[in-house]
Amino acid sequence: MPALTCFHCGEPVAGQAPLVARVGALDHPVCCIGCRAAAEWIASLGLQDYYRLRDIPPPRAVAVGDYSAWDRPQLQRMYVHHRDDGDAEVCVLLEGLRCPACSWLIERALAAMPSVRETGVSVPGKRVRIVWRPQLESLSTLLGALAHLGYVPHPLDRESLNDIVEREQRTALKRLLVAGLGMMQAMMFAIVLYAGALEGIEASTRDFFRWIGLLVTIPVVFYAARPFFAGAWRELRARRPGMDTPVAFAVALVFVASIVETLRGGAHVYFDSASMFVFLLLGGRYLEMRARHRAADVVDALARLQPAVAERLDANGVPESVGVHELQAGDCVIVADGATVPADGELVSSECRVDESLLSGESRPLLRHRGERLIAGSIVVDGPARMRVARVGAETTLSAIVRLIGRAQQQRPRWARYGDRAAGYFVCALLVVTAITAATWLVIDPARAFAASLAVLVVACPCAFALAVPAALARSLTVLAQRGILVLTPNAIESLLRANYFVFDKTGTLSERSLEVVASEAVGRFPADECLRIAAQLESGSTHPIADALRAAAGCAEPARAQNLRRIAGGGVEGDIDGEHYRLGRAQFASSVEADDDDAVVLADSRGILARFELREVPRDDAAATVAGLRDAGSGIEILSGDSQSRVAAIAGRLGIDEFQARVHPEQKLDRLAQLRAAGLNVAVVGDGVNDAPALAGADLAVAVGGGAELAKSSADIVLAGDRLGGLIEARIIAIATLRIMRQNLLWSLVYNAAAVPLAAIGWVPPWLAAIGMSLSSLGVIANSLRIRAAAVSRPGVSTTAAASDLTPVPA
Amino acid sequence: MNIVFVLIPLSLVLVALAGWAFFWSVNHDQFDDLDTPALIPLSDETSGSPAEAGPKSP
Repeated sequence: MPALTCFHCGEPVAGQAPLVARVGALDHPVCCIGCRAAAEWIASLGLQDYYRLRDIPPPRAVAVGDYSAWDRPQLQRMYVHHRDDGDAEVCVLLEGLRCPACSWLIERALAAMPSVRETGVSVPGKRVRIVWRPQLESLSTLLGALAHLGYVPHPLDRESLNDIVEREQRTALKRLLVAGLGMMQAMMFAIVLYAGALEGIEASTRDFFRWIGLLVTIPVVFYAARPFFAGAWRELRARRPGMDTPVAFAVALVFVASIVETLRGGAHVYFDSASMFVFLLLGGRYLEMRARHRAADVVDALARLQPAVAERLDANGVPESVGVHELQAGDCVIVADGATVPADGELVSSECRVDESLLSGESRPLLRHRGERLIAGSIVVDGPARMRVARVGAETTLSAIVRLIGRAQQQRPRWARYGDRAAGYFVCALLVVTAITAATWLVIDPARAFAASLAVLVVACPCAFALAVPAALARSLTVLAQRGILVLTPNAIESLLRANYFVFDKTGTLSERSLEVVASEAVGRFPADECLRIAAQLESGSTHPIADALRAAAGCAEPARAQNLRRIAGGGVEGDIDGEHYRLGRAQFASSVEADDDDAVVLADSRGILARFELREVPRDDAAATVAGLRDAGSGIEILSGDSQSRVAAIAGRLGIDEFQARVHPEQKLDRLAQLRAAGLNVAVVGDGVNDAPALAGADLAVAVGGGAELAKSSADIVLAGDRLGGLIEARIIAIATLRIMRQNLLWSLVYNAAAVPLAAIGWVPPWLAAIGMSLSSLGVIANSLRIRAAAVSRPGVSTTAAASDLTPVPA
Repeated sequence: MNIVFVLIPLSLVLVALAGWAFFWSVNHDQFDDLDTPALIPLSDETSGSPAEAGPKSP
């Protein structure tokens, strides 16, 4: 029998008589009840085209949870905006929203609901804005519908409705267009004037074209260039001239000089130069902003880590869903299986296992006994657990970690903006040279003073100089983003070049979160293969990493024969196959023998142990290549992990890394980084967990691997989206190219200015030639920057579409 | 040659119109999602007008 895959989510279907979903006139196999419900609901709405349009299968549909707590007024106050016309508005983050077909499906499915008046789905932002009539349907109904489709909804607080990012993006787009249209018009009229200057033109016609040029430049200078003037004003008030100051000066001077020339009928005007300058600079800034927003979209950290709803037990022991902000110390809450712990507290039920990997880096669930501490943000693996709340809100460990990030970010030394400062000095020097030129010519020949000093200003207008760095940076940001590498801070590329010591986290960074079976040791009556098959059968219904590893090791999926499967909290699973009773799990569970054998899974039947499976973490496909590549480049490599000594040593051994430390707390990581930096090393930290976040913020360069804990990304300089470690090497290659191009650009603009300014100052350059020279020097810089290409990076068989797909939806 | 005194103001009016149209489209969410609309013609949907099928507006 060929392996069946689920019609809805694409995962393999286990079992002989799979569930079927009736879509159209056909029956399709599905893997679970959740997927069947999703597929049939989609079909009943007439939206089965979704299956044809989508690029990426959605996540496995989950059984729809209970969202009734979201109807509590206490929660709605924080999340729902009630509009004056009686409608309500909410912004919901959707897990699993990945491609345009998803947004198509969600919009239509919501539009089919009677209460929904307006929807707006943002695929890059992974969110949907819904306006609905609360009288007709409750928020919980809407959330239930989204969950029904297979997208886990997380309502975002009201502030996210007030979309600053969207407004910033729209304004930038408008300014860019105004500058572009103005530039095209101004250049058109400038060509007339240049032609006229060569062929001869009537003074009245010339003045007409000059006034028209002024007219089309006004919106460029007063609307499109406003950010530069505002920035220059801020910089001047702070007495720290940066990039905006020379730009604003140049635009203002060229514009004012051109108006003066127009009014007095002088030799030349430069409206085209002014608007082209503004357009090119705005274009670079727009690209930079897009990259920044796209990366920030992916973050949305706390929405996922901190649950909004908790199950509180009232005085009679009856559970009630309440908002987490309503919890108080001393409350008793129940945390369901797979749910996130809402606050710090102590366990009241006898025992449970919690996954703290996001907080401590510990890769496997930890056993907690009665009275032990549970930390907000960790996940209860085998619930339900009952706990007493001790600390809430800002007092929790999670909040402390967030504060630690903030502190470390303040400590980070800002990269000195050499280019900006140099440009600032350049502008000052330029103004002095212009003044000297004007003064000298006033003494020698007052009639030529204005033309000569204007030529100096225009020929040396810091166009090429101002564009040298931003043009190369903007280009490299685009190239990097195409490769799924998002650069979040302006100094990241420089830091990447200078980094010569790489500190890696283990779990989720060097290793996958999945496991593999390394050894199966049969000790009973069956051979190892047969034992693996039995184990895979017992785990057939589970999505736990151990179950996945056992199924993968057993090979092809065969029909499920196991019956009476029962999952025992904190132990493992038991069930019957062909009349024989088996147990699979930790040693003391499976065979009732006390053993300290936490790294292995044991299979036993009623007579005793049958087999022992050793599991270990799988290093990422490209981890070894990346480590080797960095080492070839002369960088030091070290692992700092919160996980146990043996697991860290195993991974380090496989990747050939000699330096490693296990069981490191976040504070110790910071200390170690400070120590390395004190030794004069430029340290880059690569990580993904929340426990890395303070370390990421305290490093010279912070790299976060996508797909891990979202919080880490917020303090990262570079995000490797799409779970590809190899992006680090590519980013370095592109960074090296960027630096080379940047140097060439700076050299070119320096040589040009050094040659042209003296010539202009002695009056040999007529202003029209100065304007052409300035344009050519800028175009040279831009053309040179375009040489930074993705093609420069070799592609060693890594799927780039898969890598980028999480962020850049590719239309079908 | 006098025709330019008509044509150039006319071109400026056209540019202003283009600018206005662009501002309108940015303000009316036309640039928010550049991927999904490409899928709409691929759908076989026969029922309903585009206004009904698309996101509702109040």
